Amino acid sequence: MKTKYILGFVFVLAITLSLGAYSATLGKSELVHFWVAVPAGNVTAPMVLRGAGPPISMSPIVIDLQSRGILKNLLQPQLEGLSTHWIYNLGKKPVKIKLNLANVPSDIAVDWKVNSGFEYDEATRTFTTLLNPGGSIPNLGIDWIFHIPAYYMDEPVIYDGGLEVIDANTNAVLTFIPIKFVNGAANGSVTSGGSCH
Amino acid sequence: MNTKETLIRNRWRYISFIIGFFLFVAPFALFTRAVYLMVGNTAEPTLHSVCFRMPIDWIFGGRFYSILGSSWFMAAFAFGVIISSVFLGAAFCGWLCPVGAVSEAISRSVPIPKRFRLRISDTKLTVSMRYGFLVGFIIVAALVGYKLASDQLGSICCRYCASSVLQNFASALFGDLSAIEYWQSGAIISLLFWLVVGGLFMSGGRGWCLFFCPLGALSGIAHKVGAKLGFYRVEYEKGACTGCNSCQDICPMWAIKEDRTVERTLCVNCKECVHACNAYKLLRGRRVADS
Repeated sequence: MKTKYILGFVFVLAITLSLGAYSATLGKSELVHFWVAVPAGNVTAPMVLRGAGPPISMSPIVIDLQSRGILKNLLQPQLEGLSTHWIYNLGKKPVKIKLNLANVPSDIAVDWKVNSGFEYDEATRTFTTLLNPGGSIPNLGIDWIFHIPAYYMDEPVIYDGGLEVIDANTNAVLTFIPIKFVNGAANGSVTSGGSCH
Repeated sequence: MNTKETLIRNRWRYISFIIGFFLFVAPFALFTRAVYLMVGNTAEPTLHSVCFRMPIDWIFGGRFYSILGSSWFMAAFAFGVIISSVFLGAAFCGWLCPVGAVSEAISRSVPIPKRFRLRISDTKLTVSMRYGFLVGFIIVAALVGYKLASDQLGSICCRYCASSVLQNFASALFGDLSAIEYWQSGAIISLLFWLVVGGLFMSGGRGWCLFFCPLGALSGIAHKVGAKLGFYRVEYEKGACTGCNSCQDICPMWAIKEDRTVERTLCVNCKECVHACNAYKLLRGRRVADS
């Protein structure tokens, strides 16, 4: 009789671990979550930025649309997203953070969904509260949803741009994280797609 | 039992579920909104703001800074639910949780023949499966959190989240249609298991709660401890039992054992059995022998 219970336990445990493994695959290609810190300059390779506050890992983001889950590719192939919950200031001065997605083709619409514990000006995409050294924007959630027209879906490179994190007072780009959407790339994103906070 | 009888019998619990919806789910999220107002947080609260799973993920993944940082409120809420289960049973699950409420409501309102609905009558098997998930959740949280297998494993917690799906539907229902425009594979899997497999095709509609909720599983353990100490729990009195088995049919959490005593780690103190049969009573104190 005990075997039944052990099997039940192991069965669900195995499903859970399998879901964890599948999550790792999905996390590199669907709604990729990534960390942002300033001032990091141009993030051309995986790096760990150290300074005031915790060390933050960043890397260029490459999203292979062919690596997405079967359900996603079947039901909703033309929408893909990126997300962050973490913007840190590891510099020495308080900064007013402004965001910009660079080099987005005019026929790819991007929805910005921003929720934050700082005041946010949607028109200029600027957090109007100063982000102090060592601090992060509290309760942050930003999703960028890309609407990709059907005729892009066979292109080897769909989007080749990046996220600019700008000092709104000086307009200097503090951090640039390259972002690429590709079809069938050898290298996926370096992020694990981790948890939401 | 017809729908009208079910509604009357459960009226207080269903009213409580509606209150739970308004307390935790945006655009209302009145509970979270009140806390945010008190602490001066300008973020727009959602169901996500009181995530039922992330603090557990943080604890086992060694991310204590998340608990102590700006997400302290989320952690306080989850641990509050677990601690309250010692004293009140898993009452949050049975009376307030909007995720469980929705799948239970779908199960009760969509007429599907009983033979198409799964129910495991062996409570020990249900318990072993429930805690198989909890152990798996903890293992994944630890391996990812401590970067022991962060390339091979990803988050269970956020990738498969019924709360997010519910919040997105609620936002769309109240006017923000963009909330349901983007679907990732994990969200589709969650939706299918939460509402279709766990809701429609599992008796009682609590499949997600039974097999995929770490907060529910931990609350069950807390309730077991609390019941031993004499706090609120449902007791079975053999003398009043007529042997009709309605208790086993009606329990949404499959918590009634073959000898009709209550399996504490599954029970959410919903009082379905208390309403259906005189052999069950909600009690506190240590005067009745623990079942």
